[in-house]
Amino acid sequence: MKNFCLTPWHRAGFVAAALLLNACAPNQDTPTPTTRVDVSRYLAVGDTYTAGFSAGGLTRVSQEYSYPNLIARQLQGASNGAAFSQPLLEAGTGAGYFNLVDFPADGFFRTRRVEGREVRSTVINPMACSGADTVRLLARSATAGTLPQNLGVPGLVLSQIEVSGLGNETMAAPGATFNPYFERLLPAGSDQTYLQAVTTAAAASTFFTFFLGLDDLLPYVRSGGQCGPVPNSTLSSQMRQNAKKILDQLTAGGRPGIIARLPSFATLPILRSGKGLGLQARLQSKFSDDALVYIEDPIGLGNTQPITDDDYVLATALPRIGQPTAVLVGATTLMLPYGRDIRNPLRDADVLDKDELSRVSVVLNSYNNELDRLATDVYKMPVITPAKKQSTLDLDVLLFNPVAGSVSLAGVVYTAEPVRGNFFSLDYYSLTPRGNALLANAFISAFNKAYRANIPAIDANSLPTSAQ
Amino acid sequence: MRLRFLFLLPLFSGLTATAGGFDTGPQGARVLGLGGASTAYIGSIAGISVNPGLLGQLGDSLLRVSMGGIGQVRRSSFIGQDTYQRTDQELTIQPGGYFYATRAVSKRVAVGLSLTTPYGYHTKWPETWEGRSVIQESQLNTFFVQPTVGIKLNDNFNAGVGVVYAFGKYSQRRALGQYDDPTAQAKFTSSGSGLGLNVGLYGRTGDNLAFGISYRSGVKLKMNNGKATTTGIPDRDGALYPRTGDFTTDFSLPSTLSVGIADRITKNLLVTFDFTLTGWSTQDSLKLNVAASGGAPDRRITTARRYEDALAFRVGAEYQIGAKLTALAGLRYDETPIRDEYINPEFIDANRLGVSTGFSYQVSPRLALEAAYAFDYGQLRTARANQQIEQVANVSGSYRTVTHTASVGVALAF
Repeated sequence: MKNFCLTPWHRAGFVAAALLLNACAPNQDTPTPTTRVDVSRYLAVGDTYTAGFSAGGLTRVSQEYSYPNLIARQLQGASNGAAFSQPLLEAGTGAGYFNLVDFPADGFFRTRRVEGREVRSTVINPMACSGADTVRLLARSATAGTLPQNLGVPGLVLSQIEVSGLGNETMAAPGATFNPYFERLLPAGSDQTYLQAVTTAAAASTFFTFFLGLDDLLPYVRSGGQCGPVPNSTLSSQMRQNAKKILDQLTAGGRPGIIARLPSFATLPILRSGKGLGLQARLQSKFSDDALVYIEDPIGLGNTQPITDDDYVLATALPRIGQPTAVLVGATTLMLPYGRDIRNPLRDADVLDKDELSRVSVVLNSYNNELDRLATDVYKMPVITPAKKQSTLDLDVLLFNPVAGSVSLAGVVYTAEPVRGNFFSLDYYSLTPRGNALLANAFISAFNKAYRANIPAIDANSLPTSAQ
Repeated sequence: MRLRFLFLLPLFSGLTATAGGFDTGPQGARVLGLGGASTAYIGSIAGISVNPGLLGQLGDSLLRVSMGGIGQVRRSSFIGQDTYQRTDQELTIQPGGYFYATRAVSKRVAVGLSLTTPYGYHTKWPETWEGRSVIQESQLNTFFVQPTVGIKLNDNFNAGVGVVYAFGKYSQRRALGQYDDPTAQAKFTSSGSGLGLNVGLYGRTGDNLAFGISYRSGVKLKMNNGKATTTGIPDRDGALYPRTGDFTTDFSLPSTLSVGIADRITKNLLVTFDFTLTGWSTQDSLKLNVAASGGAPDRRITTARRYEDALAFRVGAEYQIGAKLTALAGLRYDETPIRDEYINPEFIDANRLGVSTGFSYQVSPRLALEAAYAFDYGQLRTARANQQIEQVANVSGSYRTVTHTASVGVALAF
């Protein structure tokens, strides 16, 4: 009997007689992490999510909890000597982030922006879409000579992957196409494009993950349709073509990897809690009245109109709804509840209306379909979801939709609500360290299915609830 | 002659029966050594807690006392389904004990008293284990007091009845893993009591063969004094989780229906058989009704258990080695009441195969020393948590359970 172990212990019994018992926990075979494909050199390609952005900022701590770093840690159990390099920021630098101030009973938590700190210099662009924007030049990554294995770059858009000088300091001028997070990955003064960087890094890699394209659409969504390129067929075909250029490099020579479809925006908290009629009903019960919610006509020409269920009020605007604001009616200024009076409708920038959302959805679907086609027909990647014969990782089905309906993981409930939900961070779209662990688990589970591997998942509950 | 008892078989056929659960084993050193097959066993007065019908036979003009201590170690290991992390339960001893006294008050009537600790468990996982937000520690202790009367119907038949007063203490605590603070915890403690009835028959069909049948009703412990406390809650959620609160709950202890025979095969060898059907299905779910406190409304925390009735089969043998020494051995198979879908780390159980051994040493005509040890080995259980059902806190993985039970005691006659 293997289950006995002979470490004797001793205890005075009920009748003062000593009981001698041998007791140790019964044995079980622990599965061994295994993989048939070489994962020793993993390359992560992506944007905000991949970089480890959390609560409105990229910090050294949030980088440590990026999902590629968490995946890499799990892969190391099956692949001796595998290492993973990230372009870690110096502690305290970055573009700033949100801190939680409090969570009043009205259900709208309040945050405070911790200002970012540059290392080299600051460029202010007064003409940026949503007010003056600050571009901070950060310390060059220690990996700049060789390129890091996490090539996630916040704010990277597919339409810029072939822009020369995207990472050259000389382009850091108001209105120019420049990405300071890409700049710090490259040697000083380099005109390398992102595509070239991926090409170089891919050649030295044995395995990849691809989760890119969300940043092409996020600025438009987060600004209520005011900023970023208008999602249309031009943007859609550019995204598709450029994604193929990157994937051609990543899959070269049959390199194994996981391609993730983009999640739909309606499950992100930036939109989810502001879904038209549900929001209207909540407000009516909160104020005990039957006032409708009004929004500006999206084109700005027609009349104010009641909100429909396909319009989404941005989460950032929700606390202001119903607060009295001064409105000029005729010749007099009245204090009217914001959004709950036909004379004081929600501003277009606070709402992603149904036309705007459908534009986004058309591009998103077209892009996701292209990823499916590339994975299945062009690169002939192994199937992840047999029922659908799908070779891409469908994050909506496997992660974002379940979380939106709330899931219980070993006794901890995760929901799409920031703060208490523990999945999304305070900026209403990026993930907490635990959210990143669940995202990493989705990739790991897909990898296990596609490549018949046994890579253990992360115990997400053991990670912090915020990276700040 | 023996075929007579075949009528008992239909009683159990067709039941997907399974005794196991959180019983703490046979309540007496001697019956523990016998594997618990004591429904028709008159070698120890400890039998009266199982079958009051034995009392008429056991009671004589001497005041007989049997008492001792029991210690049970029940330990499981866990391997997370996805994380591959192994966790071993911490070593805990479930303390128990027994006290029996019997005496005949007339030719036909005998009285007895039994104090036992028949149900209980102490589950303790490491503080930071994977399922810490499901359970960290859970403990149940029960004490049964049973005054019993036995009546000799004729030379061969006896009937007995006992009233059970049961007292129980229950506590559990778990981490509130939604917070970063590792000390964030919810604790529940309560105690309560309930009443039950125990009836039984004992008969002999000759010098060598005896049978017994008994039924002990279930007992519902009503716990109205529960205290719920939380620690480590951040200020922003202070209203959701008040520091202290009251709760009530019920704890259903199962009924048991036992049938046994004892056959003296040779002068020195006695063999006993028992079937026990334990009515675990009264353990449907654990409901903690937490009263409103501060800003938090009242709520009910429900853990579905959905136990099934369970059958145990036990065989015991007693062999007289010399004038003073008796050796005991037993074998038993206990089916678990816990269905696959409701495996929960608060209490892990499995179909168990158990062996036991023990001895009784007659120091003098009035004093015997008894000791026994039992080992049970459980089947592998695999729990699959459904993440989509957010009300159910569980963790996916496999469990293996063993139990060690030891008891020492004395039997006295005055």
